[in-house]
Amino acid sequence: MRLELHATPDEVMRGVEALQEFATAQGVPQTAIFGLALALEECASNIVNHALKRDPQGKFEVVMEKSMGAFVIELRDDGPEFDPTATAARRPRAEDDDLPGGWGIELVRRNIDEIHYRREGRINVLRLTKRLVT
Amino acid sequence: MPLEIQIQKNIAGHDAGAVTVKLVGSLDTATAPELEKQLSPVLGGPVKDIVFDLAQLKFISSAGLRVFSNVRKTLKERGGQASFVNMQPQIQEVFEIMKSLPGVAVFKDVAELDRYLAARQRSHTKS
Repeated sequence: MRLELHATPDEVMRGVEALQEFATAQGVPQTAIFGLALALEECASNIVNHALKRDPQGKFEVVMEKSMGAFVIELRDDGPEFDPTATAARRPRAEDDDLPGGWGIELVRRNIDEIHYRREGRINVLRLTKRLVT
Repeated sequence: MPLEIQIQKNIAGHDAGAVTVKLVGSLDTATAPELEKQLSPVLGGPVKDIVFDLAQLKFISSAGLRVFSNVRKTLKERGGQASFVNMQPQIQEVFEIMKSLPGVAVFKDVAELDRYLAARQRSHTKS
């Protein structure tokens, strides 16, 4: 499934709802869907708020795919180069919870098994993989 | 999924003077600003304790946690606290990240919160 979303919070949630419907139709367990939805919300919000600066004309792409043993979400944006995986794991403090790499990335780490970032020309590509227990 | 917000001032019982906020739906990047907006006049008053009833909260992200954290900070400065009751298991997992912060109290249900408030009231009366 492929979605093109504008850089607004409402569009982020449109993507999350599309994920929930798609994953449910694919038979993904509800507990896994919650974690996937949360990871997409956090990563897409990060793109909207920091990479695309909430410019409603800005767009990013989300691709989701379920294979035999995993569910994969890929996010692509043309914002400035930013590798969220480079943020060291640490105990977030209330004072810095609005920065990239704060609570959001910590929640992604807790709910996703593999996080890979790469830069393809002018595009940030973030690939999230959650293993599904069969 | 939208967020329904019900704000109610408690007029009787151990938590008289506290404000209860019931959240129904999804507290996320799109709905968190509305909660912040509706809580602003509440926090503008003399309230010291806010109880969030999360029985029907289905989804929460860091955007929602940030609103809770800001409320917690404001109330803590006044010697109060933010309490959270009736969390669903998946909401509880997300909440783990902030529950150790000062000014946050998590209760299984309203009965547990009531016992805590009764004990607090007794200790205030004694002192």
